[in-house]
Amino acid sequence: MTRKIQITFILLLAIVVSTNAQSRKERKAYYGSKYNVEIETLGVGNDGTKLFKVWGYGKKVNDAVFEAKRNAISAAIFKGIPAGRGASPTPALTTDIDAETKHQEFFDEFFSDGGRYLQFVNLSGDGEPKESDKIKMKKGYKVGIAVSINHAGLRKYLEDKGVIRSLSSGF
Amino acid sequence: MKNLFTLIAILFVTTSLFGQAKKPTIMVVPSDQYCISRGYSMEFDNMGTKVILPDYKAALQSDTDLRLVISKMSGIMGDRGFPLKDLEQELKNLATQGAELAMLSSKTSGAGVAESPIDALKRTAKSDIIMDLSFEKKKQGPKNYITFILNGLDAYTSKNVASAAGTGQPSSAAQVEILLEEAVLAYMDEFNGRLMSFFEDAFANGREIKVRIQMFDGVGFDLEEEYDGSELSEKIEDWFAENTVQGRFSLQDATENFMQFEQVRIPMMNDKGRAVDARSWLRDLQKYLKEDPFTMESKLYMRGLGEAWLILGEK
Repeated sequence: MTRKIQITFILLLAIVVSTNAQSRKERKAYYGSKYNVEIETLGVGNDGTKLFKVWGYGKKVNDAVFEAKRNAISAAIFKGIPAGRGASPTPALTTDIDAETKHQEFFDEFFSDGGRYLQFVNLSGDGEPKESDKIKMKKGYKVGIAVSINHAGLRKYLEDKGVIRSLSSGF
Repeated sequence: MKNLFTLIAILFVTTSLFGQAKKPTIMVVPSDQYCISRGYSMEFDNMGTKVILPDYKAALQSDTDLRLVISKMSGIMGDRGFPLKDLEQELKNLATQGAELAMLSSKTSGAGVAESPIDALKRTAKSDIIMDLSFEKKKQGPKNYITFILNGLDAYTSKNVASAAGTGQPSSAAQVEILLEEAVLAYMDEFNGRLMSFFEDAFANGREIKVRIQMFDGVGFDLEEEYDGSELSEKIEDWFAENTVQGRFSLQDATENFMQFEQVRIPMMNDKGRAVDARSWLRDLQKYLKEDPFTMESKLYMRGLGEAWLILGEK
């Protein structure tokens, strides 16, 4: 009887541990997801630009800064930019939820290291980030930078490449 | 070989010509509240009732803030492939058009241009989508801020198809003109995002239109007249069910003399790949009613891209 209870207990423990491990793995995948970009709008940008603070993760501060720039463009395309400080929300440039898979080849090249996405990052505080924007984590850094992106230029580029529909397409 | 190339070229041009849906026109119009609260209004005595109407001409001639906002919005919409119709220019055109029509005469007989009262009534500034705009400069201590309301209205269905509204950040340093410009920049992307959803819905589920069926007076029959055991109104409803996208329409109201259809979803293109609007779509019903067993004449009356009337009994 006691042995039976012991086995049940071990089994239960194994289930709990495996569930926990899985959730941790899921959490890790979630960090890498383009939908997990953290953004805070800093104000209304000038003509055709968007101004916001975006966060990135990396082993080194510089890696995190680069990821933040990529996140900034990724958010504008797939997630949209939230409202804040006088600016209304900006919807995601793509309205097709499968855009990423449909145009995978394009996005792989666009977001590659030193890829075309950098052309649309006008200005970023990519010097040494402020201490409050540089958070040391267990395996690296979480860094926040202020960026201004050429939103109108990015939209035009994606429209020309046939990745997104323009407002007047079909007419 | 040369003929083959010519044929291919003609085919390509024809396909590209017919492959586009009819583009709606958009115009920014200051809201009634904006015009009347600033004194840009006209007052009429309509049989003892005082009627106040907005005076757009006065607003556009004297309000520099309004001109600045409209100009900024036009620039943004132009960049998005939707150049706006300019209300001021449209009003000027209508004035000169009226004068020219009155003066125009035939060289041979000296006859003037035919114009019914309806034709004259139709000569007004209009567009398919109206961007109804209002904004206000407000103060909070030494700081200025702007409240901004923009509604995109479908001129035919009267539905609000896109909107953006809010209050800007108060600032004591920035000039009011800069705050106005900032307000336009702050809200236009949200507005255009909603407009985009409206267009995508139209392409997926059809353009939404309004249709009215009416009878001419004294034609000797009405919508309760029976054909093959069904009333005329039933036959018309059946035709709507067969010719709308997924059979989507709603009969809002009906008597023996009229039928009012709303939320009628018509395809953006027909089988031949040609753009469809309310008039061209309703013309098919006109043709259907001309055939057996109905054999009736009717008058097709257009009220723009999104509304048409069919008046039965006579031309």
